[in-house]
Amino acid sequence: MSISRRKFLGWIGAAGAGSAIGNTALAGGNKHFTGYPGSYAVLHDTLLCVGCRLCEAACNKVNELPAPDKPFTDLEVLNKKRRTTAKTYTVVNKYESAGKKGPLFRKIQCNHCLEPACASACFVRAFKKTETGAVTYDSTVCVGCRYCMVACPFEIPAYEYDKPLTPRIMKCTMCYSRITKGQLPGCVEACPKEALTFGKRDDLLKIARARVRKYPDKYVDHIYGESEMGGTSWLYLSGVPFSEIGMREDLGVTPAPDLTSGALAVVPMVVGLWPVLLTGIYAISKRKEKIAEQELSEAVRTAAENATSKAEAKLAEALAKAQKEKDAAVEKAVKKALEEAAKSQAKEDS
Amino acid sequence: MNKGRSLLRWAGFLAVAIVSIYGISVHGVEKISKNTSPVRADVIKIDAMTVFGKLERPPVEFLHEAHTEALTKKNKDCSACHLTEKDLIMPKFKRIKDTGKKEVTDIYHKECISCHKEMKSAREKAGPVECGGCHREKALYSSSRQPMGFDNSLHFRHSKAQEKKCERCHHEYDAKAKKLFYVKEKEGTCRYCHKPETKENVSSMRLASHIGCINCHSKNIAKKIATGPVKCSGCHDLAEQQKIEKIKPLLRMERKQPDAVLLKTAKKGVVIDNLNKMNFVPFDHKAHEEYNSTCRVCHHESLKQCSECHTLAGIKDGKDVKLEKAMHQSGTDKSCQGCHDIKQNEKNCAGCHVFMGKTRKKEDVSCLKCHSTPVPEKGKVLSPDQEKALAGAMLQARKPVTGTYKEEDIPEKVSIKNLANKYEAAEFPHRKVVNTLVKNIKDNKLAGYFHNQEGTICQGCHHNSPVAKKPPRCDNCHGKPFDPENPLKPGIMGAYHQQCMGCHKEMGMAKPVGCTECHKEKK
Repeated sequence: MSISRRKFLGWIGAAGAGSAIGNTALAGGNKHFTGYPGSYAVLHDTLLCVGCRLCEAACNKVNELPAPDKPFTDLEVLNKKRRTTAKTYTVVNKYESAGKKGPLFRKIQCNHCLEPACASACFVRAFKKTETGAVTYDSTVCVGCRYCMVACPFEIPAYEYDKPLTPRIMKCTMCYSRITKGQLPGCVEACPKEALTFGKRDDLLKIARARVRKYPDKYVDHIYGESEMGGTSWLYLSGVPFSEIGMREDLGVTPAPDLTSGALAVVPMVVGLWPVLLTGIYAISKRKEKIAEQELSEAVRTAAENATSKAEAKLAEALAKAQKEKDAAVEKAVKKALEEAAKSQAKEDS
Repeated sequence: MNKGRSLLRWAGFLAVAIVSIYGISVHGVEKISKNTSPVRADVIKIDAMTVFGKLERPPVEFLHEAHTEALTKKNKDCSACHLTEKDLIMPKFKRIKDTGKKEVTDIYHKECISCHKEMKSAREKAGPVECGGCHREKALYSSSRQPMGFDNSLHFRHSKAQEKKCERCHHEYDAKAKKLFYVKEKEGTCRYCHKPETKENVSSMRLASHIGCINCHSKNIAKKIATGPVKCSGCHDLAEQQKIEKIKPLLRMERKQPDAVLLKTAKKGVVIDNLNKMNFVPFDHKAHEEYNSTCRVCHHESLKQCSECHTLAGIKDGKDVKLEKAMHQSGTDKSCQGCHDIKQNEKNCAGCHVFMGKTRKKEDVSCLKCHSTPVPEKGKVLSPDQEKALAGAMLQARKPVTGTYKEEDIPEKVSIKNLANKYEAAEFPHRKVVNTLVKNIKDNKLAGYFHNQEGTICQGCHHNSPVAKKPPRCDNCHGKPFDPENPLKPGIMGAYHQQCMGCHKEMGMAKPVGCTECHKEKK
């Protein structure tokens, strides 16, 4: 195949540029999605959390999760940093911070992003951002690819590795079934210090701002989750920089689908266009081959023809020469015979 | 087989080489750390050349005490390195002033290296002679130098030792005659004139204090009189600083400062007009002298009256900080209200005050606590003595509140049954808690003055309702959580836990630990 690497890349580049032309900017307005109106959320005031683990116990109970290895009353487990697993939707971790009276605590669970990365990564739409604010999961359609686990910036979804036949993704549901019945999420109901506040996201943002304004010395002037990853339905207040209580501060404010939609939107184009493009490239190169072949056979033919005519000419020449020599020999022989006849005539005469 | 053996031999060589290199380096490190600690108070960074532009090589770390020790052993004193001017040892190395880049560089290179070389040739332990030995990229030591200050206690000890001859330290500068002179009762702290950097005719605080303190101390040592430190660590090491004797109780400074000051918006001796009718504030100057270790806490730039620089409208001398801000700015210890706010973070106060928001605008009643006496009618002028007398009388009239209601009016126990479904009722020792809080602040004048009623202390918990002998119970206001009409009000369970646990934490109480110390397990 006579296609150079340079040429191939050139074509691909041209194809890419072509597909880029005519695309309109996605974020054309000054409005962006800030969650379903009236959707619920939870505000976690980490300054009020005392690390009693009652939320963990309540979560375990209302979600009917398996009993833990160590009881929820054992506060020793706080000495180790934990993460959510297939058997625990939520964990509380302890953090030490210099200059603070006593340790700090933070509860970890699904943050229920306004535009969830897990849902955007899932090609069977097992995840859904419901209008309540909860991000729910449908195990009946899940194929277990675990893309959601890779996509989640908070490393929340967990996988039932111990159930090879019926594995599910396990994560906090914001107690979807309870909140649709007008009940509080299990953890919120159990929290003795109201370190967790349940309510409409808009109201919670107001509460959070009011607290920061009332106690400017106590709180960091930031509501984590208001805009992180495009906003989440779990909001946090802290008295120290959020990185000190193990929260990522490098996530930016762009929702995950916005980051991936550009690349993912090219997929149909690529899927649709590439066969045509590649067939075209193939046809073009095939045609070239064909032409080259034709030219070659033509050349061979002319070359052969040339060779034949030359040979014939040579032969004719040789033949003519031979004829000439032959004629000369006959003539010579005749002449000699005539001379000899004349000689013998003269001898007879004498 | 042969090949294997030679490989083994090579491996052996390598192992020996690695071990010996490693061993040597470890040994070297050990040697340094054995002789000198890497954290010291006497680390001087020699970067004198910065005044002449960018440094060409890294600044030199100089261990002052290592040098004084080495020189003492050779029976040499300060004059080995320091020049003397007018009978005073000067702090700069082998020079009085930084004259020029070349000169200063040469002084260091010539003097340091020649001495190091001398000692080296005498086979003594000597400092480096090559460039990189002194100009190191990476610091070997870190400085634990603490700034030194002259607090009221130290001042008192010095004035006693100097037989109250203030002029031995305090002076003014006559720019025309280029001389120092002394004016009685014009004394201020050194830092009012001696700023961090040397300016024309005024040496930096660092230079001035080292010339003043060390010369006097070393002369006393020569005379064998008990005196202050001359070594770096004596003043700048934290442990040494804590050993400095504190005098208690302190006598007042003698500079004719007022006992009481009448803070007002009009200038001294000016007729009080209709524009400036803010109520007078009596200020207990004498008491505040005791509360602070140095005058500089409030008088940060000079010992003038606040309002001379911080006028109502603000002037350049006061960096445009208006009188209002100078008195009320929160988040600083320079203003009245800011400093009082900081006091609220103290252990005995924080239990209640941590829950009180820091709103800029206080209630009127709290404004009137300070702004207590109305301005007299138009046209009246108060002489300075009259002002002081009025302020003193106003302070006298203040009646601090140190107690609360009678014992029998305070409920002894409160039984909290809100979690009766899970636990036995929690028995709250109400009277004991009240008594402890009252006891803790009994001698606190600030609390005594601002807690203006006997029921004020109750408001630490019984907030948001007027002061009363029988205030509402917690559950009269707090009910179910997350009330959309009242989003900032916690539910009853949250309210109890936030209040009780928050206060215990702020007051540094170890107990209770766990749920069952308050709530008995249900049988």
